[in-house]
Amino acid sequence: MKMKSKANFYTATEAEVIRAMSKKNGFKNLMKSIWKHKVLYLMFLPCIVYYILFNYIPMAGIVLAFKKYSFMKGIWGSDWVGLQYFKTFFTSYDCVKLLRNTLTVGLMKCILEFPFAIIFALLLNELRNAKFKKISQTISYLPHFMSSVIIITMLQRILAPDNGVINQLISAFGGDGSTFFLMKSQYFYPILFLLDLWKNIGWDSIIYLAAISGVDPSLYEAAEIDGCNKMKKVWHITLPSIKGTIGVLFILGIGGLLSSGFDQIYLLRTPGNMELADTLDTYVVRVGLANGQFGYATAIGLIQGIVGLILVLGSNKLSKKVTEVGIW
Amino acid sequence: MQAANKTKVNNKIKMGTGERILQVLIIVLVTLFSLCILLPCLNILSLSFNDGADAAKGGVYFWPRVFTLDNFAEVFKDGSIVRAYGITISRTVLGTLLSLILMTVSAYVLKIKTLPGRNFFTLAIAFTMLFSGGLIPTYIQYNKLNLLNHFWVYIFPGAISAYYLIMIRTFFDTIPESLEESAQIDGCGYFGIYTRVILPLSKPIIAVIGLYCAVNHWNDWFSGAFYMNSSKLWPVQTVLQQMLNKAMASTEENTSIGQLIAQNANTVTSDSLKMAAVIITMLPILCVYPFIQKYFTKGVMIGAIKG
Repeated sequence: MKMKSKANFYTATEAEVIRAMSKKNGFKNLMKSIWKHKVLYLMFLPCIVYYILFNYIPMAGIVLAFKKYSFMKGIWGSDWVGLQYFKTFFTSYDCVKLLRNTLTVGLMKCILEFPFAIIFALLLNELRNAKFKKISQTISYLPHFMSSVIIITMLQRILAPDNGVINQLISAFGGDGSTFFLMKSQYFYPILFLLDLWKNIGWDSIIYLAAISGVDPSLYEAAEIDGCNKMKKVWHITLPSIKGTIGVLFILGIGGLLSSGFDQIYLLRTPGNMELADTLDTYVVRVGLANGQFGYATAIGLIQGIVGLILVLGSNKLSKKVTEVGIW
Repeated sequence: MQAANKTKVNNKIKMGTGERILQVLIIVLVTLFSLCILLPCLNILSLSFNDGADAAKGGVYFWPRVFTLDNFAEVFKDGSIVRAYGITISRTVLGTLLSLILMTVSAYVLKIKTLPGRNFFTLAIAFTMLFSGGLIPTYIQYNKLNLLNHFWVYIFPGAISAYYLIMIRTFFDTIPESLEESAQIDGCGYFGIYTRVILPLSKPIIAVIGLYCAVNHWNDWFSGAFYMNSSKLWPVQTVLQQMLNKAMASTEENTSIGQLIAQNANTVTSDSLKMAAVIITMLPILCVYPFIQKYFTKGVMIGAIKG
């Protein structure tokens, strides 16, 4: 029964349209209006079908987190197991390790990396040579358009022991040029951090640059008359003026705290850094797709999804209260 | 430079010096960052043009030492890689076209303010940006739709992106309603307004979203790796990912020399082959990139208005 009502709920968009279109009595104006727009509904139909098939049915499929999936019975026919998967996960040995790794990566990306794009935008904004500025910007966006596979293939070659360019340089300066960077777990977080920074700093700075260029120049002039130096102007005018943009991007970033950087982590895994390169994302892929524990993997995905949702809603509310900036 | 600024606030000439020092400092910093991006690419480029056996010895930095085109020739001789490029190109073209048609039509519908249910639809679409069913229910759904192991798994599931859809709608909102009204008076239906008024006026946003979609298709390795068992239908990114996976899993200190001994007749190593494949995969984006770059950034601005 429960599942049926859920299925009905998620197909409400379609049902609503059909019901409204076929009802000839009552709601006369609404009906007229819907009839008047019938071509529009027809044009919109593919979009409705798409969202039901690829978003809302999988969303309803979350019930799998409370069921023991069997291929024969399908999602709806499978037997209920209650909260068993959640208990298994939170009592398992892996749990602490996975949460620690996931949070470390998430915090690194959401908090530690966050200011760099702002700083980069501030630097670019100070540049007087327009041509140099444009060329630097163009170069800085470049990594954003390279796929993670390409980037990490390049990285693997460059960091290769002995004949990789970094190790060659190290030995050229008299160091030990045989470090297998990707195999050593102590280099995992620094590599991941620098890689992500390298990939995103330019692209992320675009939005800040746009916000900075929107600041009223008369504010700077006034500050100059008041005797502010460059640093003071940045601190007292530029940053407060773009705090709305900063807030929105921070809220959006915080939602991905538990599910960030799958691509890079998955591709950077080596036998040497397995302990650290195991996050909730890679775990779901491993136990779900590789081992076929669908129910268990769905439960972990659900934890990630709910935490992400709560974080976005929560930080949005907090931000609205503190800075009067929100994403809606 | 701060000290100079502070002590001589009223002295315009000294301010100029401080300013100049700051400029030089920023230029140095930004140049260093640009080099961090360009030099690795240059290194890979040199390796791809360098003899494989020679490169394995090390010492190839930013210019090929023993120049050869064999690596590229080998890539094009390899049937599986050529086929993978075919898959990548067809999914990019087909997928981008489908996405553009679906998203512009839907965005146009959502733009009509009198449409009953418009807010509900918008909300239902926006909600998918915050929450999703997760990997496994999605996987099961693809299986039910018989998409797994079919080419269409590259095309349909990613056809609509809520984010791009809202960006397009935001752009459509800037088109004056009076144009639509006059078209209506001239006898245009909704579909006519869409094709004759909205689309011709929306070339910039169509270019931006089309480019985003194309880049996403070109760079996607995930659907190939997880939704496609048969390697015959893998796009080139997945082929590269599988090569990378193998290289990462080996604990051997130096794979290229090991492979070199095994195939010493051929001076193209698997490593140099990989570098050539990487260059070919990056090339289309690198070539068109400087020209279309302004469209990419324009897209971010349009997204920002919404935020």
